[in-house]
Amino acid sequence: MRWFNLFWQQLANGLIVGSTYSLIALGYTLIFGVLGIINMAHGQIFIFGSLVGLALMTSTDLPLPVAFVVAIVVSAILGIILEYTALRPLRKKNVPHLASLISTIGFATLVEEGMHKLFGADSRSFPEVFGGKVFDLGIMQIRGVDLLIIGISLVLMFVLHFWITRTKLGKAIRATAENSDTASILGINTNLVIVLTVMIASGLGGIAGMMIGMTYSALIPSMGLTLGFKGLAVLILGGVGSIPGAMVCGVLLGVIEVFAVAYGDSSYRDAVAFGLIILILLIRPQGLFGSKA
Amino acid sequence: MDLLNPYNLQVITFIVLNGILAISIYITLMTGQLSLGHAGFMSIGAYTASILTKQADLPLFAALLLGALAAGLIALLIGAPTLKLHGLYLAIATLGFGEVVRVIMLNMEITNGALGLTGLKSIGNTLYEWQKAIGVSAQSVGVSVMQMKALLTLFFLVLLFAVILFLTLRLNRSRIGRAFEAIKADETAAKAMGLQISYYKMLAFIIGSVLAGFCGGLFAHITTTVTPDDFNYHKVVEILSFAVIGGSEIVWGPLFGALLLTSLPELLRSLAEYKMIMYGAIMVLVMAFRPHGLIAADTFQKLFRRRSKQASAAKKEEF
Repeated sequence: MRWFNLFWQQLANGLIVGSTYSLIALGYTLIFGVLGIINMAHGQIFIFGSLVGLALMTSTDLPLPVAFVVAIVVSAILGIILEYTALRPLRKKNVPHLASLISTIGFATLVEEGMHKLFGADSRSFPEVFGGKVFDLGIMQIRGVDLLIIGISLVLMFVLHFWITRTKLGKAIRATAENSDTASILGINTNLVIVLTVMIASGLGGIAGMMIGMTYSALIPSMGLTLGFKGLAVLILGGVGSIPGAMVCGVLLGVIEVFAVAYGDSSYRDAVAFGLIILILLIRPQGLFGSKA
Repeated sequence: MDLLNPYNLQVITFIVLNGILAISIYITLMTGQLSLGHAGFMSIGAYTASILTKQADLPLFAALLLGALAAGLIALLIGAPTLKLHGLYLAIATLGFGEVVRVIMLNMEITNGALGLTGLKSIGNTLYEWQKAIGVSAQSVGVSVMQMKALLTLFFLVLLFAVILFLTLRLNRSRIGRAFEAIKADETAAKAMGLQISYYKMLAFIIGSVLAGFCGGLFAHITTTVTPDDFNYHKVVEILSFAVIGGSEIVWGPLFGALLLTSLPELLRSLAEYKMIMYGAIMVLVMAFRPHGLIAADTFQKLFRRRSKQASAAKKEEF
C-alpha cells in the first residue's frame, strides 16, 4: 500500500515539473513554427526575466502576481532585443541556415554572463508563498503551490491553443508559419507577427521560470541552460514544430524524469532527457507527434 | 629569455592545440553539419587516454590514439540515427550528448567524479625522458628543465598540427573533400550526382570527432589534470566561435579564429573576466554583418586582386 501511495505521489510530482517543461517547450515550438529556427537563447532569456521578478519580490516585497508580470515583461523585452539584434539582421540576407542558431547561441552567452554579473552565480531562494499548505487527496498529498502551477499551466495551454486556432492574430501566425512570403503578400505584417511570437514565447518562458522557482523554492542563473536543454529535448520528443507534441511530451518528460530519479539513480537526472532523445531518434525520428516530412 | 618562460610557452601551446580543435570543427562543418558535441568528444578522448595511462599504465602515445578512437566509435553511434535528418537534429542531439557525457563523468567512480583525475603523465616529461635517453639534457641546450619540457611539448604539438593541417589541405583537394563541398552547397544536387550523402556526412562527423577526442587526450596530458567541467557548454561555445568568427569555408578561417580568440584574452589580461561576453557579442555581430566569417573563401582572392589592381593602376599612372 505504501508503494502504491508513493507511486501516485511521484506521478503528481512528475506532472507538476512536466507542465513547466511543456510551457518552456511551447516557447521553442512557437518560434520554430514561425521562423523555422531554434532559439538557443530561450532558456537564458526566461531565467533572466524570472530572476529579475524574484529579485524585486525579495527586495521590495512585491506581491507574487506583480512579480509574475515583471518576469513576463522582462523576458518579452529580452525576446524583442533578440529579434532585433540576432534574428532580423539574418533574415534579410541569404545566410546559411545554421547562422541563426549560432547567433542565438551568442545571444544566450551574453545573457548568461550578464546574469552572472548582475545576480552572481549562487542560487536565490524563493519566498514561501502559501505557507506550504498541504492538501490531502487521499492517495497523494499536494502543496497549494503545486495545484496553482498545474492550474496556471493548463489554463495557459488552453488559452494558447484557442488563441492560435480561433483568433485572427492566431490565423496570421499560422499563415506566417506556413509561408511568410505569401502571408506578407496577402497583407499580413509578418515582421509584427514575428515580434509578437517571440514576445509570447519568451513571456510564456517567464511564467514557467517563476513556477519552477516556486517548485524548487530557488532559482539559479545556470538553470537557464539546463531548463533550456529540457525544452529542446521535449521539442525533439514531441516532433519539432508540433504544439500538441510540446504540451504532451513536456508532461511526459517530467513524469519519466521523476520516476527515473525515484526508482533509479538521482545523480543521472539531467541525463534522462537526452537519453530519451537518442532513443526517440532511433525509433521514431520525426518525434511522437510529428509527421514525416 | 623572457619569451621562453614556461607560461608563454604554454599559451602558445594552447593556441596550437586550439588550432587542431578548430580543424576538427571545420571538418564537420565542411558538409554543412553543425556538431555541438565537440566538448563531449574531447571529454571522452581525455578520460579514455587518462584512465589508460593512469590505471592501465599504457604508453602515453598509444593511449592518446585509443582515446581518439573511442571518441570516433561513440560518434558513429550518435551519428547513425541523426545524420539522416535535418541539420538541427544533429546540433541538438550532440549538444545533449555532451551533457550526458558530463553527467556520466561526474558520477562514475573510475573518473573520480567532480574532482577529476590528477597527476597524469605529462607529454613534456615523457618527451624529456626520450631526449635524455639519446643523450641530450636541458643543460646542454642552455635552458632550464622546465623550459625544455615546455619547449618539447610545443614542438611536438606544432609538428602534430603541421601534419594534421597538411592532411586537411590534402583532404580538401581530394575526391572526398569535393564531395563534402558538394553536399554543403546543395544536398539534393549532390545526391542527384550519385553521392552517398549520409556516408560522407558520417565520415566528416567522425573525422571531426576523432580529432576532438585526440585534442582531449592532448589537453589532459599537457595540463596533467582533467575534470568534467573542462568540457562543459562554455567549451562548446568556445570551439564553435573559432569557426564562426574565423569563417568555416576554408580551413584558414577557423585557424585564424582560434589564434585570435586564444591570444586575445592573454594579451588583454584585464579583460579575461569578460571573455565569454566577448565571445557572445562577437558571435552575434559577426553573424549579423559577416555571416560567412571574417575569412571567406574569396577573401584572399579579393585581397590579391585589389593589390594587383592597384599595381596595374600605378603602372598606368607611370605612362
